[in-house]
Amino acid sequence: MSELLANLWMGFHVAANPYNILFCLLGALVGTLVGVLPGIGTVATIAMLLPITFGLPPVGALIMLAGIYYGAQYGGSTTSVLVNIPGEATSVITCLDGHQMARQGRAGPALSIAAIGSFFAGCVATVLVAALGAPLTSIALLFGPAEYFSLMCLGLIFAVVLAKGSVLKAVAMVVTGLLLSMVGSDLETGAGRMTFDVAELADGIGFANVAMGLFGFAEIIRNLELPSESRDIVQSKITGLMPTRQDLIDSAGAIARGTILGSLVGILPGGGAVIASFAAYTFEKKISKDPSRFGRGAIEGVAAPESANNAAAQTSFIPLLTLGIPPNAVMALMVGAMTIHGIVPGPQVMTKQPELFWGMIASMWIGNLMLVVINLPLVGVWVSLLRVPYRLLYPSIIVFCCIGIYSINNSPTDVVIAAIFGVVGYWLVKHDFEPAPLTLGFVLGPLMEENLRRAMLIARGDPTVFFTRPISAVLLSVAIIMLIIAGLPKMRRRRDEVFVE
Amino acid sequence: MSEGVSPPGKRSGFTFSIRNPRDFWGGLVLIALAIIAIWASRDLPGQRGFAFGPGTAPRLFAGLLAALGAVIALVGLVTDGPPIEKYKIRGPSFVIISILAFAAMVRGVSGTLFGIHLSFPQLGLLPSTFFAFMISILGSTEMRWVESLIAAVAMTAFCWLLFVVLLKLPFQLWPSFF
Repeated sequence: MSELLANLWMGFHVAANPYNILFCLLGALVGTLVGVLPGIGTVATIAMLLPITFGLPPVGALIMLAGIYYGAQYGGSTTSVLVNIPGEATSVITCLDGHQMARQGRAGPALSIAAIGSFFAGCVATVLVAALGAPLTSIALLFGPAEYFSLMCLGLIFAVVLAKGSVLKAVAMVVTGLLLSMVGSDLETGAGRMTFDVAELADGIGFANVAMGLFGFAEIIRNLELPSESRDIVQSKITGLMPTRQDLIDSAGAIARGTILGSLVGILPGGGAVIASFAAYTFEKKISKDPSRFGRGAIEGVAAPESANNAAAQTSFIPLLTLGIPPNAVMALMVGAMTIHGIVPGPQVMTKQPELFWGMIASMWIGNLMLVVINLPLVGVWVSLLRVPYRLLYPSIIVFCCIGIYSINNSPTDVVIAAIFGVVGYWLVKHDFEPAPLTLGFVLGPLMEENLRRAMLIARGDPTVFFTRPISAVLLSVAIIMLIIAGLPKMRRRRDEVFVE
Repeated sequence: MSEGVSPPGKRSGFTFSIRNPRDFWGGLVLIALAIIAIWASRDLPGQRGFAFGPGTAPRLFAGLLAALGAVIALVGLVTDGPPIEKYKIRGPSFVIISILAFAAMVRGVSGTLFGIHLSFPQLGLLPSTFFAFMISILGSTEMRWVESLIAAVAMTAFCWLLFVVLLKLPFQLWPSFF
């Protein structure tokens, strides 16, 4: 316990460094700014803003990225409440009651309860991440290459099964990602693989290019097709940001329950935060004395899912920081950012770079605090952003992304690669393929291949090693069982229902 | 498996309709991608003794991808699904052209394509940003000239402020022949 406190203290020491506070603040602000813009979800926001963090020191960059993440999520809930357009999947459910509250002139309390709930959930989740970090890391350090490979398989399968869409197609996307990650020089022999004699591909396909193309450009192209929707912005001035005492009493329980549910679900890979917010809302509705209030502006209907998705967003850092396995697309972007800074995510981070590990955890708390303190007074600014028409917005995003990608290596080829992935992403959408599993496969590819090769070498080329070593066997069996369960017709229907809602 | 059954079924005349075209064509493209990957890694040495060669893993995963693609395509034949949405031409092509134009303008390109020597001068960051903005905005059906020009100038100024002044990135701002 004292060790935990000492570690957290060190973390706060790092995070409270004026520069890091500035990065955290900037991240939260910019994240909210972009997250509020209609049609740009969390993943696209982070992908877009990745390049501007590359020039920073590693700790600062990751702190800023984490800030961008929370900011983008918070921006998503702001648009849910005010415009009834969920910024992303995790805030879909917030629309139901949040927008109703806004129509009743209670947008202020809805937004502040969302912020307060998120902050509370963030505090709890921060402690949870810190507490679970050490034990999980020590387990992961015992793993050999075979176990690691199996663990990554399990992580990927989990992520696929718990996300929306067809499991089969998602697995195909993971494999596509793995294959794409192999373009470039072979780690051991240096032989150029699948480079088609393009010099720029010798170092592999840059992660930022893939992310920007699949999430940034593809999303823009996709949005351009949709008819310009009439945005139902709440026109009335937002008065009285502070919730009443009654609001606080009503939502206290919901926040606590949402936090617990969210923290638990968030640790699981996949659409953790999405499932968490849905589950929290359904749970509140079930235990409520008067379920008919939900959907008509019940404050619990805002408090519970918002707390849950923030808790889940934060606990989803646990598998990344301790095991090195990104549980969802956002975390995959984090892996990409870490790799660019020369950090290999995984159990080594905590032992070799404790200041980075704990600094980031502490900055999560600071980031959440900033969202409450800074964003609420700025609600008016965010609302005015929503009035920017999309026809002016998307060219701005495109040139911003272009400069961002170009700035990473001063390479025009990178920009072209991103454009190609933009087209790929557009095609994927047309064929109901999800880009997120591709990204997961892409970032895990090099690690998976390395561990696979090492495991096979140690086992003298015997592929049964993955089933004869006990831990590895257990991990792989769980993965296979998960796949089988997800494939059962009954479960498939249940899954579809959950994600369609 | 029953993979061999599907092509004859597909070719048996135009009366046969694909029940889930999104999955079917998606699966076929994945198979094509896998074949390209196998072809591209054909020269790489494979397994040597116990050790994986550089070509082992690409072939392994490409094989897996081909198998998955086949299953997806097959599922697309036996299950019902929505038709493929129409691809829009205007929006996507202007967006892609603007990105490619940015890449060409910011550094300048010269090369030989089909025997013709092509070269494009380096315009630098600011003109590239401005023109890329203008090209991409043409993709919108609601485009208005005055408003667009003002927005393009404003966005160029913003990018200059952010990337050059604040982040201090070393960019060439103006054309090299200036």
